[in-house]
Amino acid sequence: MASTACFMIISKNDIPIYEAEVGTAPKKEEAAHQHQFILHAALDIVQDLAWTTSAMFLKAIDRFNDLVVSVYVTAAVHTRLMLLHDSRNDDGIKSFFQEVHELYIKASFTLLTVFVIILLNPLYLPGSRVTSSHFDTKVRALARRSE
Amino acid sequence: MEPDVSIETSSTIRIAVIPIGSIHLHLFRKYTSMLSNHHTIPLSSITSFYTEHQKSPFSQQPWDSGSLRFKFIVGGSPLSPWEDFQSSRKVHAVIGICHCPSSPDLDAVVEEFGGLCKGYSSAVVKRCFAFAPGDTQLADGNSQGNNLVLFPPADQRTQEIHMQTMMQDIAASLLMEFEKWVLQAESGGTILKTPLDSQASLSSEEVIKAKKRRLGRAQKTIGDYCLLAGSPVDANAHYSTALELARLTGDYFWYAGALEGGVCALLMDKAVQKDPVIEEEVKYRYNSVIVHYRKSFTQDNAQRVSPLSFELEATLKLARFLCRRELAKEVAELLTAAADGAKSLIDASDRLILYVEIARLYGTLGYHRKAAFFSRQVAQLYLQQENSLAAISAMQVLALTTKAYRVQSRASIPKHAISNDTGPSVADGGKMHHHLVVSLFESQWSTLQMVVLKEILLSAVRAGDPLAAWSAAARLLRSYYPLITPSGQNGLASALNNAAERLPSGTHCADPALPFVRLHSFPLHPSQMDIIKRSPGREDWWAGSAPSGPFIYTPFSKGDSVDNSKQELVWVVGEPVQVLVELANPCGFDLLVNSIYLSVHSGNFDAFPISVTLPPNSSKVISLSGIPTEVGPVNIPGCLVHCFGVITEHLFKDVENLLLGAAQGLVISDPFRCCGSGKLKTTIVPNITVVPSLPLLVSHIVGGDGAVILYEGEIRDLWISVANAGTVPVEQAHISLSGKNQDSVISIGYEALKSALPLKPGAEVTIPVTLKAWQLGLMDLDNIASKSTSGNAIRPMKDASSPMLMIHYAGPADNHEELPESVSVMPPGRRLVTPLNVCVFQGLSFVKARLLSMEIPAHVGEISDSAHNNSADNTTDPSKHTDRLVKIDPYRGSWGLRFLELELSNPTDVVFEVGVSVQLENGTIEDNTSEFDYPKTRIDRDYTARVLIPLEHFKLPVLDGSFLVTNSQSNGNGGKTVNFSEKNKKAELNASIKNLISKIKVRWVSGRNSSGELHIKDATQAALQTSVMDVLLPDPLTFSFRLVKDQVGEVDKKHSSNGSGIEGNYFPSKGPVLAHDMTPMEVLVRNNTKDSITISLSITCRDVAGENCTEGSNSAVLWSGALSGMKVDVPPLEEIKHSFCLYFLVPGEYTLLAAAVIDDPNEILRARARSSSPDEPVFCRGPPYHVRVNGTL
Repeated sequence: MASTACFMIISKNDIPIYEAEVGTAPKKEEAAHQHQFILHAALDIVQDLAWTTSAMFLKAIDRFNDLVVSVYVTAAVHTRLMLLHDSRNDDGIKSFFQEVHELYIKASFTLLTVFVIILLNPLYLPGSRVTSSHFDTKVRALARRSE
Repeated sequence: MEPDVSIETSSTIRIAVIPIGSIHLHLFRKYTSMLSNHHTIPLSSITSFYTEHQKSPFSQQPWDSGSLRFKFIVGGSPLSPWEDFQSSRKVHAVIGICHCPSSPDLDAVVEEFGGLCKGYSSAVVKRCFAFAPGDTQLADGNSQGNNLVLFPPADQRTQEIHMQTMMQDIAASLLMEFEKWVLQAESGGTILKTPLDSQASLSSEEVIKAKKRRLGRAQKTIGDYCLLAGSPVDANAHYSTALELARLTGDYFWYAGALEGGVCALLMDKAVQKDPVIEEEVKYRYNSVIVHYRKSFTQDNAQRVSPLSFELEATLKLARFLCRRELAKEVAELLTAAADGAKSLIDASDRLILYVEIARLYGTLGYHRKAAFFSRQVAQLYLQQENSLAAISAMQVLALTTKAYRVQSRASIPKHAISNDTGPSVADGGKMHHHLVVSLFESQWSTLQMVVLKEILLSAVRAGDPLAAWSAAARLLRSYYPLITPSGQNGLASALNNAAERLPSGTHCADPALPFVRLHSFPLHPSQMDIIKRSPGREDWWAGSAPSGPFIYTPFSKGDSVDNSKQELVWVVGEPVQVLVELANPCGFDLLVNSIYLSVHSGNFDAFPISVTLPPNSSKVISLSGIPTEVGPVNIPGCLVHCFGVITEHLFKDVENLLLGAAQGLVISDPFRCCGSGKLKTTIVPNITVVPSLPLLVSHIVGGDGAVILYEGEIRDLWISVANAGTVPVEQAHISLSGKNQDSVISIGYEALKSALPLKPGAEVTIPVTLKAWQLGLMDLDNIASKSTSGNAIRPMKDASSPMLMIHYAGPADNHEELPESVSVMPPGRRLVTPLNVCVFQGLSFVKARLLSMEIPAHVGEISDSAHNNSADNTTDPSKHTDRLVKIDPYRGSWGLRFLELELSNPTDVVFEVGVSVQLENGTIEDNTSEFDYPKTRIDRDYTARVLIPLEHFKLPVLDGSFLVTNSQSNGNGGKTVNFSEKNKKAELNASIKNLISKIKVRWVSGRNSSGELHIKDATQAALQTSVMDVLLPDPLTFSFRLVKDQVGEVDKKHSSNGSGIEGNYFPSKGPVLAHDMTPMEVLVRNNTKDSITISLSITCRDVAGENCTEGSNSAVLWSGALSGMKVDVPPLEEIKHSFCLYFLVPGEYTLLAAAVIDDPNEILRARARSSSPDEPVFCRGPPYHVRVNGTL
């Protein structure tokens, strides 16, 4: 993926239920916080946008500085898979985006499959935190593959 | 960059407002606030002050509809290098504010004002407003010239009119100055420069270029002045010219400026802003403005100055113009673009302003999270400045973000919002729906929340605001302790303590810190103090009003009251009450709660504070007490806690919601569970009402309240002392029993209590109670056994099995001179429950009970007069008495003598003496003590002994059919009736057994003062079950022998008419029976039935070896008369006599037996004989009689 990236799942109550720093850049706590702040703020945009489009994948709906927010809004439970990624890329933003887009959609769908599996877990209470380590490894593996 | 820019900014005239002389801040604010009403001065209102000196350059000025707009810059502002570019940035006027009483010297004021005005070179109108001048100052001030304006003290309205006039004057002056400036500029000669223009080497080419540009810039500036003068049409004309010129010269920066002015003019002219056509136009033009500002960026002076801020301002202006919900997307795009520019801004304060503006616009748009995000950016910029003023700003800005991040201080939430929150749950009776709970925890983004709170804490510490710091640290610790390391928790605790040190003691904070406090329970009144609602007009006022049993819920009371959702609780004025709360400290440090007490908003309760220390990760249930002081409802929403140096209110509802959230997985952790405290069902705060003082009875058992230790069956008297400890007399009282083993209370001295009423406060009465210890059940015995094997001391259960004495009592029905409302309501009564703590030890225990029957051969002889008639001989001496009770009369024989043998063992440590007494049925009424005591049996410890209870006295005198007839009659009928009658029979049988057993009393005595009675019912019942008929029913025929000396007495023989006696007045021989002598004998046969019986009687005589002596070849006994096959009729309940003679050949022991075969027996007889078939002969046999035959001497 990108050198800086933060992947989060936000429940329909706007509570984060999963978060992962999936970028390749060395992780800093401060930065991670900032990423979450950006994603949190982007929820305002998502909230409006989600009602205006039938698309589930909302590409680059928000940005702050170099960080771009893309969102996958799940239809059924209105859970949002949010990805914060930096748009700076040597190969040029456009080609990068096309690539990331493709990968991201793929990833999103796969993620969605995983997500649905979680939801179908009878022990999972909708809206509560995702603590499955299986899910975590899967997300990180997908993030690595799309690098 | 400038804050608060909008498209209209270009048309507002800036006026600096500065304080002159020494003036108090609040006065300065007060005076400047008077200015704020005069932002807009209509042109029509200033005509009187306006004089047209020359031909006005503003030819199109709308005198009737136009206006001048002012912007007051309080405190003044520094010069902007961009004043030439945008004339609206100039400070065109200066207003000084002076408070005369504090600056008496007006000359000095004028001088100071003059000095300050020099800083505003562009200011063309200067006025100093002097408020509240004294008389001398008034006189003096009028000579000070035009600049000093005195506002004589007057009422508000007058002052306002005065102010308005002055402002109109200023407006007119400004207008005239603008005209002057424009005329001058048109005549040429004004050089307009911006920092953008390179000041270094001006090549000749550039000089020429600059000259060309000068004209366009002048036109643009004139346009600006036209806008300020409120003449958009004029402005537009000049801007058009300027645009042309700027485009020709490639002066993009000024082109953009002129374009921007043009938009402002457009909007001023067309006051309708919401016209979509105009909106499109504005959007189009402003996009062009932005593009041109961007175009004007040149690389060579990029380090020094950049037009970027104008581009951003233009973006913000457009965004502000469009800022509506419908256009949110466009605005958001604009703002995102503006935010992108931030990093290219050179000046940090520009970035600050940019973020502030973006945050404001997002806020207006309703994007609170976006607004919060940029606010936080602002706060971070402030925090980078490292000074306390910036820290205060940061703190304030962060406080704005708390709502979006859901970390608000409770102080910032308006009161009514809180009450709304609690509203639905109250209506629901405490049950909140899932979605309501979820909504409480919406947007709980802990990472962000913690960061924000940490930043607030940091900025508050830096800003020196201890309360804000305390509040932030409290919120952080309370909400996010699971995410904070123990050292971090310690750090927060010390932050709390540090903040508290700077606060005055007794400071309240709206945000609670630790501990978590939840309601544990409202202990019901101790059973000694139960309050019972009185149902008026009923004798038994306590009945049905309150649960009287040990169960709080009874299915019958459920339907009665409509509002069952809330428990009702009654407290009494002046009587201390307790509420149990549970505290939890989930953090890793020792938590010292300096004081905690109930928070009562109704004001009629005195709460007692207590101090608690909670070790790390612990929870504790504590009892908070207090005294209700006034009649009325009590409302307890939470606790007041003094902890970490600050007083906070901890609401139960908050914790309840938190726990609900934790249960839903919405909150990180349940503070109580992580402290190891179990799940507790939520306790609803009951409706508590305080009632006026009631009487209060306290009881104790005389001789100590400890358990009374009794052996099974022991009877003991107790005295219960009851005293009125209240302040109201007891007027009614009623005693009843409840609990288990109620029948162990034999008697209660109810009269003692009754006679003591009314029981005055302090008075005491003693009630006697007689107890009889019950028998231990099997389970109890098992318990004892297991306890004793485990080595513990034997502690019989006193808990649940003891009976309880309940005294329902009440004070006077109408409570003296109380409030009128309480007169209608009867004051409740009370219930005193005194458990009669009885420890029952295992006493004598049954091993076995069985029925023994025996036949003791009797000697043939005379019959004592009173052998059978017990009722006749109560006066005989005791020894004989006893003999008779044993009922072995050697001369009479005994038919079916039966004993109930009880085998008793004594597992105790003491010696028991057991005595049996039998209550006789045929005792006369006045003689109801007709009991017979058998000698006492002593049973030593660990020994077993047997007690015999003769059952003879229970035989019925008559063989009645009542038991048996039903049985035999039913034989012929259908099976159903058989069952029925059998049941019937069984019941009757049981009843008779019970009756029988109840007459037998086994009393015991142990030591000096223990005595009691054995419970033998169950044991004897089992023993008697099978043979009760034998015990109860007499044989149909009874036989006896006697010797007859001569036949003298026979004539005098008479039959007893009472039917009970077999007695006769004959004279039986007393001498021994001799061998070789004719021995006349007679056999007596008595019919015990009510029917006459025909029998065939036969008599046999056997020797010691059991050989029949009267038959056979070498019989030892000769006889005369009939010995066998005698057909006799025995009349009902009478006796017949059959005489015969025996001649004994050999001396020795002989046994005489009488037997009879009943001819044609009726059903009763057959049933008695238990014959199976109707054809079987019924055979009756008498007891054996011994005859000792002496040899002849």
